Amino acid sequence: MKLFVGEGNPHSVKVLAVLELTGVKCDVQLVNNEERVVPYLTRPVLPVLLLPSGQHLFSPNTICQYLFDVSGRKATDATNQWMEWEITDLQPAVLQALHMMALQGKRSEAAAVMKEPLSHLEQNLRKTSTQFLTSDVITVADIVLWAALYPILSDPSFDAGDLRCVRGWFDGVDVQSACQTAAQKVLHGKSSEALKTFLQKLPATQTQRRDGQTSTN
Amino acid sequence: MALRELSSLEKCLGLKKPNKYGTQGERKVPVLQNNNGAPLVGLVTIASHLVHEAKKTVLLGNSAEERAVVQQWLEYRIARVDNCPKDELKVILKELNHYLEDKVYIAGNVFTLADILMYYGIHRIVVELAIQEKERYLNVTRWFDHIQHYPGVRHHLPPVVVLRNRVYPSGHH
Repeated sequence: MKLFVGEGNPHSVKVLAVLELTGVKCDVQLVNNEERVVPYLTRPVLPVLLLPSGQHLFSPNTICQYLFDVSGRKATDATNQWMEWEITDLQPAVLQALHMMALQGKRSEAAAVMKEPLSHLEQNLRKTSTQFLTSDVITVADIVLWAALYPILSDPSFDAGDLRCVRGWFDGVDVQSACQTAAQKVLHGKSSEALKTFLQKLPATQTQRRDGQTSTN
Repeated sequence: MALRELSSLEKCLGLKKPNKYGTQGERKVPVLQNNNGAPLVGLVTIASHLVHEAKKTVLLGNSAEERAVVQQWLEYRIARVDNCPKDELKVILKELNHYLEDKVYIAGNVFTLADILMYYGIHRIVVELAIQEKERYLNVTRWFDHIQHYPGVRHHLPPVVVLRNRVYPSGHH
């Protein structure tokens, strides 16, 4: 089994943190973000997990869930729901906000973009009695959301407003050594600065306002 | 759209009692009202829950690897196929066509939830394709036709006419 990760690639932080946390045995190779590891995808995508069967896993959340699954921890409705929210709601806002912060210096605009997903998270955490998102032990959903928010919330100049529960939960995940190691390895502790090259290469459709697009639902 | 899809999925899974659904937000994200707990939000989350409810977990994959492949393409459906800008449609068809080259179903040789939801999601794209485009994305078309004829899947969607025989003889162009 072989894991391909990219420098300054925020999705690579997720999978490295989960790999460290679960202790699954796997070779890790750092490759150029431009490299096309998956033959059937048109654009270069990282991280990628190449399974012994030859099958490629190219979705960061799926790789995380797979590593948890082989360590005996199955997905639940609750973890699935947070992971889906991360893809459909949080990730588009994060990419847009990072683009504004790291490339355009628009910090207040970035905060405005993050307001809705962050308050959604705050409200839900306020209602939970568990230490982490869905239970008292850390799950795949905690790592996935932590890694998505890491470049934003670890930036001291980002004004997140009053988010007591989000901060408490974030710091609880952030102190895990697996998370610290992964963030250091990929971003060298420089958060949004380290993402510049990654962000510059993203197609514009992923970093611009989504309002113009029509919903198909 | 998502609600009709979930109702078709319920029938496909053989669930007798229909669930109550709502939507939330601008994107009309489906919400499953649950009597014995918090509501469930999100198409893939609800669909996976229904599969468990119907005790047909083989549809989510039999091994960790199969489960991962199914999840990956369910994600692809909601992240890439849904809300896809017009000029990106060709990219999706190209990628799927390449991926399906050596596969009967999305997860390989077994029919899974990924086939059902990808079929529901991609129907609006395939229905618009001209004959020549159906030829160009032959693996997608073949897979699509297979799924639309799979017992109990089609429900709310009109069948798409797919030529079983190639328009042009193969190997000469």
